[in-house]
Amino acid sequence: MGGQGVERRDILRFIGIASVAGTFPGFSKWAFACAQTHGHAPVAATAQATPGPYKPLFFSPKHYQMVEYLAEMIIPADDTPGAKQAGVAEFIDFMVANRVPVSARRDVRSSDDAFEIGNEAQNRFLSGLDWINARSKSEFGHEFMDCAPELQKSLLEELAYKAKFKPTTESGREFFQFMRDYTVVGYYTTKIGLESLGYPGLRTVWPSMPGCSHPDDPEHIRLREPRSAHVSASNSTA
Amino acid sequence: MPARTFDVIVVGTGAGGGTVMKVLCEAGLSVCAINSGPRLEPAKHYQLHRQVYDLKYRGFGDPMRLKGKAHQEPYSVEESEYSEGKDLFEHDVAYSNGPGTDWYWKRCKATGGKANFWGRSSARYGDIDFKAADLDGFGENWPVDYAEISPWFSKAERYMGVASTVQNRPSNPDGEYLPPIPWRCIDYIIQKGAEKIGLPYLPDRCAQLTVAHNGHPACHYCGNCSRGCDVGAFFSPTWFTIPDAEATKNLTLLTNALVRRVLVDDAGMAKGVAYVDRATRQEVEVYSKVVVLAASCVETAHIMLNSKSRHWPTGIANSSGQLGRNLCDHLYGSPGYGYLPQLLGQPATPDSIADSTVAWMPRWQNLKNPREEKFVRGYSVYIGGGCGEFPGHYNQIEGFGAEYKRNIKRYYPTPIGALIQAPSLPSPTNYVDIDPEKKDIFGIPQIRFHFQWGQNELLMWEHSKQMMMDLFKAMGGEMWGADDEPNRPGTSLHETGVCRFGSDPKTSVTNKWAQTHDVPNLYICDASIFPSPTDKTTTMPIIAFAMRTCDYMLGNFSKGVHDRA
Repeated sequence: MGGQGVERRDILRFIGIASVAGTFPGFSKWAFACAQTHGHAPVAATAQATPGPYKPLFFSPKHYQMVEYLAEMIIPADDTPGAKQAGVAEFIDFMVANRVPVSARRDVRSSDDAFEIGNEAQNRFLSGLDWINARSKSEFGHEFMDCAPELQKSLLEELAYKAKFKPTTESGREFFQFMRDYTVVGYYTTKIGLESLGYPGLRTVWPSMPGCSHPDDPEHIRLREPRSAHVSASNSTA
Repeated sequence: MPARTFDVIVVGTGAGGGTVMKVLCEAGLSVCAINSGPRLEPAKHYQLHRQVYDLKYRGFGDPMRLKGKAHQEPYSVEESEYSEGKDLFEHDVAYSNGPGTDWYWKRCKATGGKANFWGRSSARYGDIDFKAADLDGFGENWPVDYAEISPWFSKAERYMGVASTVQNRPSNPDGEYLPPIPWRCIDYIIQKGAEKIGLPYLPDRCAQLTVAHNGHPACHYCGNCSRGCDVGAFFSPTWFTIPDAEATKNLTLLTNALVRRVLVDDAGMAKGVAYVDRATRQEVEVYSKVVVLAASCVETAHIMLNSKSRHWPTGIANSSGQLGRNLCDHLYGSPGYGYLPQLLGQPATPDSIADSTVAWMPRWQNLKNPREEKFVRGYSVYIGGGCGEFPGHYNQIEGFGAEYKRNIKRYYPTPIGALIQAPSLPSPTNYVDIDPEKKDIFGIPQIRFHFQWGQNELLMWEHSKQMMMDLFKAMGGEMWGADDEPNRPGTSLHETGVCRFGSDPKTSVTNKWAQTHDVPNLYICDASIFPSPTDKTTTMPIIAFAMRTCDYMLGNFSKGVHDRA
């Protein structure tokens, strides 16, 4: 294949492995200090202590608070930490401020393209957050952050679930997807997020490729879904 | 540069050029290898065991890093911040696209070239490929047959180390293999489904060292192969051919030297090359008895088309007029992706650590009868999936909150995606020429692409979509979708043609040994000689054909053919 399989190629838009050592300005929560040893010892990573409150590069304090809150609504803490602890809001602020095309719907072929798409992203965030507040005000009489959690949840549900869509909310729905793109990418590119998935590549040296452990059941029809996952399966919306 | 005459100048140090350097240096010739960009140093440039959270832009890269460069589109590898953007890829030399063409030309200018990051699929071509024109009447046959090339495939495989199994399919001939990569859950499920509808799903021929080989260590399955290998556990010039050539002390390696033309003597024969030193922008000449071009398919034609003289008014060795013609490519795109419900909720398994080339579906169309489908020839399909580096399936799941998060994990082992590899047919409207107006920053006239997908490959694309629907059904999978359009031409990195070889000097640029018909001391050792693409990849055959060309050239040296008057 020309460098990548299809899965690789899709993923490469999101992911890379390279080397910018240590910490980065503005990333107080998700920067992890890594002791890189090149002799193939597993990379040891430890969370770094938060040096102080994060100062947003792009969002106003009010918008930043809302971004952080929405991100946690999308990926909450449960048996693993949620978006807030993983520093997703900082990720979003940094990416939006630096015009990194996290959720671009067209090719980025030049710095000019990136700049243009980055400006669009900035505008989409600002107008999207304002849309949520305006919607919240017209529906519930208060801005989003001043509403009760049930109301916040119902507002978001109308944007997230097809069965609950309302007319004239297209721009809100579009913003929700956009916000969700940033949140998911931000969360699953942290150690917290990858650990919550059980991403096997966190281990970088394997003595051999383990392969499938059920070759006697090649169709995998006798495989049972573990109970913990099954609970969510019963009310899955996928 | 001292006024010295080398035995051989090799332009390019990738799959083809690196092999030429190794073989000729080991045979005792003095070789000057000229590389367009810098030396790639794994210890400096590869830091593959970093995780995505160690990257400043989480793998997206600084969007402004190529600002001001003549060519700003990134190579897929550098998009991932893997290289720290340190000048390994070509962004200074621009190229043109003719009207209606949208070619994506990805170039690695560091030593070893694209073969540092290749996909490692290493299938042999067979007579169904070499004699395709006889079978279906399109284009030209290759000037060789399988019996003649098979020993060279063996030589290449033995040197590189290729993991696979014996499969007894004449269209996909068996070679000499290391133990195969073990199958993942997804491979077993896909194979059973494919079997039900009569499609092959087999271990790929994968140049990945499942055991230590020729002094190179076995793979440690970090999963970062496509970003290069930090220990040389799969074939790359950086770890194999370049060190072998250097060990002989017969190699002079020039870096950051952009070759612009082949120099000729009074008889029109090659006498060396002129390159631009990227640092000083000065033009420098180097001399040799033989010149080998292995600059990567299109760049080789670019150099030749720019090598005009009174002997060669349209470019060196172009009496046939075929130089730059017959540009072909693999059509890439996803004809189907979805998930395997059998694996929902299963614990994460290390599916991506072998980087996805575990198994494939070699061509199954038009095997019994060359015209049994609406299209001629055939395509292959790769399927990747399972637990990867990023849960890209998040977009397929509705909602938010704790249940959404649980579902992302629940689906994590299940996604799979297909990639079609469909050869284009040579067409008179697909070619490269020199842009009559535009020059790059070094003053070199730019190459210009003229290319569109043809009907035959688009019929394969449509066919593969139907096949994937059938396959998903047969294996109990659920489909999420397929690409609407194939990828842009150039995406696959498998361009071929433009200097095709053949028996007739009137219709081909080189003879069957890749020696140009017109200029006997000018050889070509990259995929530009391949007259038509196949359902298989190009790297291993480039290496095999380069070994064979070197053998022939060494015979010519000992016969005195390349002695200077």
